[in-house]
Amino acid sequence: MREVWKVWAFGLLVLGFVGMAQIEITFWSAPNPSQEVFWRRMAERYMAEHPGVKITVSPIPETPTSEAGILAAIAGGVAPTASENIFIGFGDELVRSQAVVPWNAFPGWEDLVKARNMEETMKSWIFADGNYYIIPMYVNAMLIAWRIDILRELGYDKPPRTYSEVLAVGERLKAVHPDKFLWLRSELEVPTWWQRWFDFFVFYYAASGGQPFLIGAEIVADDKAAVEALRFFKTLRDKKLLITEPLAAGFEVGKTIMTVLGPWTFPWWKENYPELVYGKTFVLTPPPVPDWYPADAPVFTFADAKGVVMYAQATLEQRQAMWDFIRWVLSNTEHDLAWVQITGMLPARDDVSTNPLFITYIQEKEPALLAYAANIPYAVPPIAHYQYVQIQELMGLECIYPVLVGDLTPEEGWAAWKAAVRTVLK
Amino acid sequence: MKLQKELRGWLLASPYLLTAVLFFLIPLGWSLSLVLFDWNLIAPVRIYVGLGNFQEALRSTRVLHAFVNTYKFMAAIVPAVVVVSLGLALIVHHLPRLKWFYAVGFFLPYLASGVAISLVVRGVLSYDSAFNAFLRATFGSAPRWLREPAWATLVISAMIVWKLSGYYALIFLAGLQNIPRELYEAAALDGAGALTQFGKITLPLLYPAFYTVLILAVGLCFGIFTEPYVLTGGGPRFATYTWQLEIYYQAFERFRAGYGATVAVLNALATFVSVLIIRRLVESWGVRKGFR
Repeated sequence: MREVWKVWAFGLLVLGFVGMAQIEITFWSAPNPSQEVFWRRMAERYMAEHPGVKITVSPIPETPTSEAGILAAIAGGVAPTASENIFIGFGDELVRSQAVVPWNAFPGWEDLVKARNMEETMKSWIFADGNYYIIPMYVNAMLIAWRIDILRELGYDKPPRTYSEVLAVGERLKAVHPDKFLWLRSELEVPTWWQRWFDFFVFYYAASGGQPFLIGAEIVADDKAAVEALRFFKTLRDKKLLITEPLAAGFEVGKTIMTVLGPWTFPWWKENYPELVYGKTFVLTPPPVPDWYPADAPVFTFADAKGVVMYAQATLEQRQAMWDFIRWVLSNTEHDLAWVQITGMLPARDDVSTNPLFITYIQEKEPALLAYAANIPYAVPPIAHYQYVQIQELMGLECIYPVLVGDLTPEEGWAAWKAAVRTVLK
Repeated sequence: MKLQKELRGWLLASPYLLTAVLFFLIPLGWSLSLVLFDWNLIAPVRIYVGLGNFQEALRSTRVLHAFVNTYKFMAAIVPAVVVVSLGLALIVHHLPRLKWFYAVGFFLPYLASGVAISLVVRGVLSYDSAFNAFLRATFGSAPRWLREPAWATLVISAMIVWKLSGYYALIFLAGLQNIPRELYEAAALDGAGALTQFGKITLPLLYPAFYTVLILAVGLCFGIFTEPYVLTGGGPRFATYTWQLEIYYQAFERFRAGYGATVAVLNALATFVSVLIIRRLVESWGVRKGFR
């Protein structure tokens, strides 16, 4: 009996020592099941190789948004060690609040950037103080999907490139199918700030050759491009080619023939609309451009891009452990391949469209991703200013809606947005 | 013995008291402490702005829209919800059997998720819905339900009336069942018809129920959030923008906790004053008519 107690006591002692030696860190993944699966797998593998580290992975609580969830956790002193799903605008808010730590302060940062082949990519993730607070996980270059089956029926063998070509396609569509529309974008009349990423940003960046809206606190947007994009929206609406009312299903059932599309839609399509096949029923192109846009120039678009930050609430020991984990995840190209396989999104690397490892997989499993990979170099990340919510909301309120309903001309709408944003930036 | 009794009383009341302290008093105190600062809850330094948040809110067109829209919603919702819930209560009251089954049935919308209902309404009012297809086929066009200010206000008001009528009908129903049957019998003997009985007996004796429903409905108009959030985002042109949308926008999208708390305080003040005025009006009307 005494031996049994001795064994128990020894066991407890060992467990106690292991517990003391183990560093516990927490990682919040995006509230998207596939991203959570990826990080859980990575954590499991890492912990198997590094028994001294315990990583708890859980999704960011969306209370009510992931940003608000993170903010509440920081305010409550229960922030994770690190989390993903941070875009550069929210990152700026966190940096201004001294809530995150720079990744480049850790030894081995340069090696990681080289190992992951993201030297070019990182150029657009530098903050005003010269530090890197976000390691980008993925970049989704927003593209335009076209119902090529309907275009062929209308007599076109490829999608239109310029605004005039788009309008010509629209007129032909209306002549043949009066009940169909070119584009469904009900959110265009709603001022919700983040919806602008998926309409005006896409068309503006295409028209402007990727010219940013702001640099620091100064508006540097291309006025001509912005006005042209607005005029294009207005013309589409006037010709009843653009529908801004809610529609149960548009592009998927062929009621509309173009849509702004991110690659996260493909798993949903596969499940619900298996008849949508890349190359057969739909194709992908960069956004349409004004007629004067050079035919041989690359067409830019908006990049939906998010990454990982480390929170300042973590202890120095936890920070080091998290850095070791993140470095382990991102230094191995196989892990980025696993990211593509699990999430269906492209990793933020310079070589995603050239590395045979990715190309082979994409060609075999998801050829539509090739178009996204090819457009990453021309994809512009979100506005890197902490007032992004107001700046983007004003686009809808002061500019897009009044132009669409005819209260302002495109020139007046654009001037109104600039005037309103200048007040905000003051 | 007395002490024991008192202790038992405190013990029984403690769940409510604890909830009230944890989820009402502490957050209230916290909110009040925030109104003097420009702070996003996480920055190491809170910037003291004094009454700056109040000055900004009182000059804000967004707050003005929320303020005005609340009374627009009130004008649409309060009369409609009183009429519909009273109608439902009268129907249920006169049912020969299964009264409570129908009463519970009418109450169900109150329990339904606002988000789910909003999504259903969005589907019903979508451009290609059967309803709109019918309107276009019959009248040549259909309204842009959620894209025109007047229609959007009407749709959201109708949803709220639908949601609340069953609940308020229960209050009226309880009131109806408390009216002694003998009064109707005596009135009938005196030759009073159904309409006269309704006007001279039912309505006056339902005054306490009217009073309750009116106060509840007025207070509710200051808390509208889910329907405009899901359906219109407060648009078009702020036509359906509410206090709660502004608080949410400032606190959870722009991370301006101090300013958000200030708007919440103004919302509470507006609610308090409005309810007080309505209460006084209804009470003096009740006294004038001899209902009180």
